[in-house]
Amino acid sequence: MPGNRLPILQGTLDLLILKAIGDSEFHGLGISRRIEQTTCGAFHVTPGSLFPALHRMEVAGWLLSQWGESENNRRAKYYRLTDHGKRQLKTETGQWKKVVLAMANALKSI
Amino acid sequence: MKSRLRSIWCNLFYKHEVEKDLDAEVRAFVNMVADEKMAAGDSQEEAQRRALAECGGIEQVKQSVRDDRSGVIFENLWQDLHFGTRQLGRNPVFAIAGVLMLGIGIGANTAIFTFFNSVLLRPLPYPEPNLLTNILSELGNSSRAPASMFELYQIRQRSREFDQIAGIWVTNRALPGKGDAEQGKLGVVTSNFLPLFCTRPMLGRFFDPEDDLENAPSTTVLSHELWVRKFGADPRIIGTSVILGRGSSVVIGVLPQDFRLIFPEDASVPPNVDYFQSIPIGPWEPNGPAFLHLVGRLRNAQGLAAAQAELRSIAAQINNIGARTRVPNYHLYAFSLQDDDVREVRGTLYLLFGAVAFVLLIGCANVASLLMVRSRQRLHETTIRAALGASTFRLIQQILIETLVIVFLGGAVALMLGWAALKAIIAVEPPSFANLGHVSLDLRVLGFTFAIALWISVIVALAPISTLRRLRLAEDLKRSGRSTARRRSKTTTVLVATEVAFAFVLLIGTGLLVRTFANILRVDPGFRPENVLTLRVNVPNYDVLREMQLALTAIPGVQSVSSVSHLPLDDSGNWYDYYWKDGAPVGQQNTVMADMRSVLPGYFGTIGAQLIQGRDFTDSDDAAHQHVALIDEGLARQLWPGELALGKRINVSDSPQGPYQFERDWLVIVGVIRHVRCHTLIATVRPQIYLPYPLAPRPSMSLVIRTDGALPGLASAVRKSIVGLNRNIPTTHVEPLLSVVERARAQSRFMSVLAALLSIVALQLALGGIYGVLSYSVVLRTAEIGIRMAVGARHTQIMRLVFADGFVPVTFGIMAGTTLSVVSMPLLDHLLFEIKPGSPEVYLLSIVSILALSGIAMLVPALRAIEIDPLTALACE
Repeated sequence: MPGNRLPILQGTLDLLILKAIGDSEFHGLGISRRIEQTTCGAFHVTPGSLFPALHRMEVAGWLLSQWGESENNRRAKYYRLTDHGKRQLKTETGQWKKVVLAMANALKSI
Repeated sequence: MKSRLRSIWCNLFYKHEVEKDLDAEVRAFVNMVADEKMAAGDSQEEAQRRALAECGGIEQVKQSVRDDRSGVIFENLWQDLHFGTRQLGRNPVFAIAGVLMLGIGIGANTAIFTFFNSVLLRPLPYPEPNLLTNILSELGNSSRAPASMFELYQIRQRSREFDQIAGIWVTNRALPGKGDAEQGKLGVVTSNFLPLFCTRPMLGRFFDPEDDLENAPSTTVLSHELWVRKFGADPRIIGTSVILGRGSSVVIGVLPQDFRLIFPEDASVPPNVDYFQSIPIGPWEPNGPAFLHLVGRLRNAQGLAAAQAELRSIAAQINNIGARTRVPNYHLYAFSLQDDDVREVRGTLYLLFGAVAFVLLIGCANVASLLMVRSRQRLHETTIRAALGASTFRLIQQILIETLVIVFLGGAVALMLGWAALKAIIAVEPPSFANLGHVSLDLRVLGFTFAIALWISVIVALAPISTLRRLRLAEDLKRSGRSTARRRSKTTTVLVATEVAFAFVLLIGTGLLVRTFANILRVDPGFRPENVLTLRVNVPNYDVLREMQLALTAIPGVQSVSSVSHLPLDDSGNWYDYYWKDGAPVGQQNTVMADMRSVLPGYFGTIGAQLIQGRDFTDSDDAAHQHVALIDEGLARQLWPGELALGKRINVSDSPQGPYQFERDWLVIVGVIRHVRCHTLIATVRPQIYLPYPLAPRPSMSLVIRTDGALPGLASAVRKSIVGLNRNIPTTHVEPLLSVVERARAQSRFMSVLAALLSIVALQLALGGIYGVLSYSVVLRTAEIGIRMAVGARHTQIMRLVFADGFVPVTFGIMAGTTLSVVSMPLLDHLLFEIKPGSPEVYLLSIVSILALSGIAMLVPALRAIEIDPLTALACE
């Protein structure tokens, strides 16, 4: 797995987290694992960067958190998107697509 | 936004809950990872270990969340502030030392800068002050000479660069108004003078050219102070006639309260003139007396150079029309009034500023070395904090905050000290600054101080951070706080050497100034001021003055009484004029000036001046007999070198017809006296010519009374005796001649006291620095010293070790200081008297005292070193 792991691009972590949570509810490890799954193991989010991001986004009003029980009966904090968070996901997705397109064009033209 | 505020709120005030929450969350994460590992077949312990490793440490994760969280800045700041003050509180000596060092440095700077500000930077309080200039003439042997009305008129006629040229002359006269006759200062001004210095009068108007017309009534403008004191601040005074001497005058205006005349000292224009009268501008006669101080207003601010050139050509033209000034070196000069006002004090101020900057630098160096030593002591603590998850940024921030706490406390102390210092300086009333008026700490100064405080904080903070950057986590942890026998770093050597160098320069300067003051104390002014009482009186005529002399001589204990028009060393007014000897060619007439004095017989004996040749005046030396004069030895030598001056004739202005009705006259020299220093203690300014009072009567005279010894009730006995004459004679300024002399020494005393204070502070700081650094180095070398003692080193050897450590930077400091002094001390030259800036004696004394004092500073650490018990020292390792 570590062979095809990529560094997380600056500014993309928030988008990855927002997308990973989507319409459901996840705890920290859940989000981390889901990002790994959806990117086929390319991105691995360490808790050292995950938790600061989660807390920051909560402060920004994109996420809401609440304590709950995990599948293994452990107390864990669950995160879901607020309306603001959903709007943010849409904006960031749009922006990302533009970035990808622009990058693709730029690389093609060489 | 709401969530953010709530978060900040929670972070600040429900920190405990927030922290618990975060801890639970991160732990849950680690546990869940461990659960996964266990599910995959690891043992519980193994799973827990691998989970922790994967997550990178619970504390680190928590710290990175904290660092990232909103409110983090506030919280960290608060925490660091708290931590910083707690740390400082735990080490109060360090904190107090740092705060005081900076406080003294910054405080002294503030005080001096306030002076700078009010003396050099603040524009004069006049309309368009940058246009105002002094116009002075140079001729014969007098530079900066006053002008005659003839010159004023001629310059006015010719100038295009000046839009106004005005003149002033200040003299002592009776004050206007009823009641006891009182002496005050009259400003005789041209009618265009006052508008240059004041936009509008508080009441009434200024003089008009109409007031100068032949038949116009006498008019007067009052100062605010006089208007309040003598006329009860009555606004109806305008237009009424007031008693003035034996006549009367119409009050036409009252000046604003804050009106002051700020002129260079040698202009003989004091700041507070009681009332003004106008003098008509006219051609007058070319040989008339030169008494006016001229002021010009330029047409534009850039016109000074053009005005200078113009004055050069005007001077040549005046010379050609056959004036008194027909001499080869007659010149006219214009100086900006502001520059000219501070001409004498500018150098002094720059020097003070330099000295204070040195003190500040020493303070800085001290705080820096203190912090450096501390940061090294705290290396272990810092390492642990880094290991526990503190980011470098956070550590820097923490040190910065600790530094800032010191610096801002230092700034606060400085503000108080600066304020107190300023009050003290003003209380001493340095004479050259006397006419610069109100000085107070202002906002600009406040800003300046804090700029300094911040600037220092950055510099000082850099010192410990430079050690932090070299931090090797594992290495330093391994050493685990054990002190090594590392030598003192180069940086501390340089810092101590710098301190010593700056302190040394200040010490040299102080030595020179103190020696100057001692020399001035030893100066023989040409008279003996002890046991002489002086007072000023206003007398109507010679008979009353004589009557007073006789009445006062009758007081028991009084040896002799006499009178003079101008007391020596009392520079509140002066009378000086051109003179020439019999047979001098016309070109040499009106070229050189002497101080003129009108005296009663017995004056020289009373003040203790020495008659070298001939005789003193007698009662029969009056207008009816031969007109006679006494001169000083300098004039005798100058006019008749190698000849006897007695019996020779000299041409001067006198006024046998009545006060101020001057005419040229030939006087016969009947005596020669030793020069009496009458302007400053340290220089002969002009030669002197003494006239008997009947030849130069004047209303305002000073009495001098010599007694057998100290006579406690003398002043009141004198007053009673004068009142007993029933002549309504005002007496003012009753004081011993000795205090007049004291005043003349004030400038030198002020400078030497100030320099001494500064260098004491500097020395203390530098010695504190040596002591601190050396003490620390002994602590660092405890183990080494222990080993040396264990293998048999004697106490003297150990002490030599410590002293060697201390004297290296001191020696470097003295060397650097000597170089710096040799370069900079010539700047002091104008303040020195009878001592050279390179005086080897002062250098030697300074070197010896620095060595001795730093030896004392090293003694305590050295003694501590020999008390080290080898066993304990080694056990500590």
